[in-house]
Amino acid sequence: MKSKKNVGKILAKGGKWFVLWTLAVFELFPLVQLLFNSFRPDQEIKAQPLGLPRQWTLANYPETWVMGGYGKAFLNSLWISFWTILITVFLISIAAYALAKIDFKGKNFFTSYFLFGMAIPSFAYLIPTYYIFNRIGLGNSLTGLIITYTAHNIPFKLLLLRTFLLGIPRELEESAKVDGCTEFQAFLHVTLPLAKSIVMTVAVLIFLSCWNEFTFASTFITSTSLRPVSTRFVKFTTEYSSDFAKIFTSGVISIAPIVALYLLLQDSFIEGLTSGSVKG
Amino acid sequence: MQTASIVKKEKKEKKWLVYFYVLPAFLMHLLFIALPALTTFYYSFFDWNGIGAKTFIGLQNYREMFGDSDFYVALVNNFKWILVFITVPVFLGLLMAAWVSKLKKTQMFFRTVYFLPYIIAASMAGRIWCTYLNPYFGINNVFKALGWTSLGKTLWLGNKNIALYSVMFVDLWHFWGFVMVMFLGALQQVDPTLYESARVEGASKGQEFRYITVPSIMPTLTFVIITIIMWSFLTFDYVWVMTGGGPGNASELISTLVYRMAYSHYRTGYASTICVFQTVLSVLAYAAMQLVKKRGWDV
Repeated sequence: MKSKKNVGKILAKGGKWFVLWTLAVFELFPLVQLLFNSFRPDQEIKAQPLGLPRQWTLANYPETWVMGGYGKAFLNSLWISFWTILITVFLISIAAYALAKIDFKGKNFFTSYFLFGMAIPSFAYLIPTYYIFNRIGLGNSLTGLIITYTAHNIPFKLLLLRTFLLGIPRELEESAKVDGCTEFQAFLHVTLPLAKSIVMTVAVLIFLSCWNEFTFASTFITSTSLRPVSTRFVKFTTEYSSDFAKIFTSGVISIAPIVALYLLLQDSFIEGLTSGSVKG
Repeated sequence: MQTASIVKKEKKEKKWLVYFYVLPAFLMHLLFIALPALTTFYYSFFDWNGIGAKTFIGLQNYREMFGDSDFYVALVNNFKWILVFITVPVFLGLLMAAWVSKLKKTQMFFRTVYFLPYIIAASMAGRIWCTYLNPYFGINNVFKALGWTSLGKTLWLGNKNIALYSVMFVDLWHFWGFVMVMFLGALQQVDPTLYESARVEGASKGQEFRYITVPSIMPTLTFVIITIIMWSFLTFDYVWVMTGGGPGNASELISTLVYRMAYSHYRTGYASTICVFQTVLSVLAYAAMQLVKKRGWDV
């Protein structure tokens, strides 16, 4: 009897590990194969889409990089991300500080406003923004995207930061003020350094959303030279839909920065994305 | 006396300055998100192609929408989407979180791997999967080589009975790890002494799960389900880059219908009307979530 029970236990344990590994392979396989396929010639992929390269080649990378205009696309994406992070972090950190630390008339109104603002989905303002931006000359421009991304990122990231700042004792800022700091100096020299980790998380989240955003980038940007990586990739795969080696290679090029960053700063990603998040 | 008045003056100044802290973020959001969203509502009462003059037509767009068979196809597809996403990833995520939370050395590894696809752009992952699902040069070749002829002949994205589910499959690949990590976080918050005392009283594994695990993760479960419902009404990227809503309108969702109406058919007014409908659905889900949070279920 006892041995039968043990066999059952071993089987259950084995089954559990089997499922765990199967799912891990299911998640990873398309990405690992993507990497392998970027080192294979086109005919080899077409004959056999899955498998190790029989004939390793590095030729796909320079060709795809040049034909896809990835140098420009990377610069565009980095430019958008840089300004969006900078402006958003500046705007939300002072606002979150006020909403967490200072008593003033309308504080509850502003907090509720941002809580409600989180609920507005991007499709709700996609169409008017497109026409308004076209009219005021921001239509086919990186600045238009930076403005939209900044505004879109404000509510959730602001509230995330505010929650964190609420945990920093007010006495720290008060004592700095007794020592002659203004409120703004207290924020800059006392509070902000203590909030470094959460600001880092916020910056990572904004970078992720800028790099991955597709709907607005593909609607607003019509010039090839202004396309960021996400829409450049989709356009490229449409133009060269018969060249599988280049599609897979451009896939690697497009997702590599995000995957690398994720492996480096995993906790920031997971913490940020799972804290009551709202779709970006 | 003099110092008192200086202090008072200083305080007054500060009170006034604080609006400079909040207003920039507030105005930025108001101008570029909230007001355009209201403008969508305004557009929904007009017949407008985006270029010419707007004609006020009252509720006619709304009447058209509720009589539009394409709209119902999209709506039904959206509900199918919700049904699949509130079951499969939730069940899988919960089960895997329960297992992964017991692991010691490999816990971080599985968490990293399961969450990885979630950080990749839907548009990029969608295109990569499209290439794998190519009927002539994709995995169908592998199926044929294995002798599974009927699988090898399947048009994963071209068959109107399958296309929507193929896209769902890819989105599940992308999404379920997120749910798993949410549950993993919740399970790690459960007080371990509860399990100890249950064991002392001779509770079975099943009873432990039913009476300790499930109640402690109820807030997260509710949050996850409402979030999925909200996101399902807005989901766009995967369908758009993989099928564009096709073949025909077999995989049409509300969002892809909006997009086609606005940017292929230039029916800006009508597209705005569908947007309003979509926004109302997702805001209702969001309001439900805030109510749940108010009950003290902090997640």
